[in-house]
Amino acid sequence: MAANAQGVAEAPFVWHPATAAEAWQLKQTLGTEGVYTAGGTLLRTQWEAGLAAMPNHLINVGEIEELHGIHIDCESGTGTLGAMITLSDLRTSPLVHASFPLLTEAARSIAAPSIRNLATIGGNVLSLVGDSLPALLIYDPVLHWHDGSNGLQESLSEWLSTAAVHAAWRERLLIAIELTQPALDSNTKRFVAYHKVGRRDAFTPSVVTAALSVQLDSDNRLSDVRLALGGGQTIPHRLELVEQFLTGKIANKKTITEVYALVVEHYEPKGDAFVPVSYRKKAAANLIASELWKAVR
Amino acid sequence: MKDSMKPLSRLETSSIPCTLNGQEISLNVPPAKRLLHILRDDLEMTGTKRSCDIGRCGACMVMVDGVPVNSCLTMAYQCSGKSITTIEGVSAGGMDPIQRAFLEEGGFQCGYCTPGMIISVKALLDHNPDPTPPEIEEALSGNICRCTGYGGIKRAVQKAIEWRREAYESESVHD
Ligand SMILES: Cc1cc2nc3c(=O)[nH]c(=O)nc-3n(C[C@H](O)[C@H](O)[C@H](O)COP(=O)(O)OP(=O)(O)OC[C@H]3O[C@@H](n4cnc5c(N)ncnc54)[C@H](O)[C@@H]3O)c2cc1C
Ligand code: FES
Ligand code: FES
Repeated sequence: MAANAQGVAEAPFVWHPATAAEAWQLKQTLGTEGVYTAGGTLLRTQWEAGLAAMPNHLINVGEIEELHGIHIDCESGTGTLGAMITLSDLRTSPLVHASFPLLTEAARSIAAPSIRNLATIGGNVLSLVGDSLPALLIYDPVLHWHDGSNGLQESLSEWLSTAAVHAAWRERLLIAIELTQPALDSNTKRFVAYHKVGRRDAFTPSVVTAALSVQLDSDNRLSDVRLALGGGQTIPHRLELVEQFLTGKIANKKTITEVYALVVEHYEPKGDAFVPVSYRKKAAANLIASELWKAVR
Repeated sequence: MKDSMKPLSRLETSSIPCTLNGQEISLNVPPAKRLLHILRDDLEMTGTKRSCDIGRCGACMVMVDGVPVNSCLTMAYQCSGKSITTIEGVSAGGMDPIQRAFLEEGGFQCGYCTPGMIISVKALLDHNPDPTPPEIEEALSGNICRCTGYGGIKRAVQKAIEWRREAYESESVHD
């Protein structure tokens, strides 16, 4: 029988709860012996790399109805993505593309189609470093969890800011992600961009993943600036200081030169043996500066 | 315990119904066993290749319900009720035009990546018979070839598109 890197036989129990409450109850009973499993693509990478042992119990969350479905209300500009939505669903949904275009781009940049056919948005978010996160952060995302009570709602930004240090959320089941499109003021246009820069063209961990959304009036004055950065092992976050700096400014050479310096100064990525912090800062600053140029061109 | 919460068995095998290359079968395997090992070791269908084991090379590509997936990432329970097509299934009715195009256009050298490539191309063309170059590139982005430099593969895909179009047009004329 095949074994993973830890030498554990591939023979865990696999549970198939039909409701969120059943899944949560199972997790309570099994504790660290039981692991929620969606597409299993990230878990498999962790098991094979020896970063985690294959658990004794997998809790397959794929059969829970509530976790499926893309619901978008184009009128109000709001939407909900079930945690079990695959990245392929995101990549190909015309509704997602119309309302949350940065997500279509993000899905295109993650892994390859065959992996996206298994991998879910829930698993990507809960990896803490998924490339969907910078795109999601632009749309005021709210996570809907099942925690054994009436359900818990929490802003994605807030959760990300503490998720690496607090582990309590690992007991919860992610149900869905709620999004809201930025509103567009009259006489303005919106410019959005998503970029993932890797060491190779495709299929490689990101050096920088950036998502940007700005509103411009006819003088190129910026408002409702939203900017999120991540990549590699950096937990993605909005760059509020840079957003505040840009708000109300005219996007011109001076502003863009200043914003480059500000990103280099304030963005704090995690480096690794391949790409040091200084390179990631410059790559991020270059991306933001070049996208702002495109916005005013 | 509700039925839905009964675990599939652990060390003993469980019976997972699915269709393999058009034939209804039951997989009597541990539920988390990988499809790659089921195909190669249990069913002795070695057309599907094993290389990286972690989803990075595409050698193990199969179609599940018509879309490509890496069989090294897919666990047995994820195949329940699904239709699996392997490279053996692609050529069941004789050589597929995609395979012939790879032969004629030099789309392979050692051939190790080829079954996975063929599966990805078939999945693409079954959904999108006339893909653009960026669409082809995206569809094959999970298949790595260490030999060809991809030139022959790109030519093979273009040839397969042409042949399939010609076959479709001549069928339409005869209808
Ligand atoms: C070859 C390869 C390339 C990859 N490339 C990229 C890439 O370019 N960018 C990127 O961001 N990622 C990449 N990944 C990582 C991974 O595929 C994605 O993060 C994917 O979206 C994870 O989803 P999943 O459904 O497979 O998660 P799983 O592996 O099933 O789960 C991931 C984690 O989330 C938990 N979990 C899942 N769903 C829930 C839920 N509903 N409630 C509570 N907990 C849950 C699991 O317990 C686990 O801890 C790659 C993976 C592979 C194998
Ligand atoms: S063996 Fe499955 S992708 Fe490499
Ligand atoms: S032909 Fe040798 S790896 Fe592709």
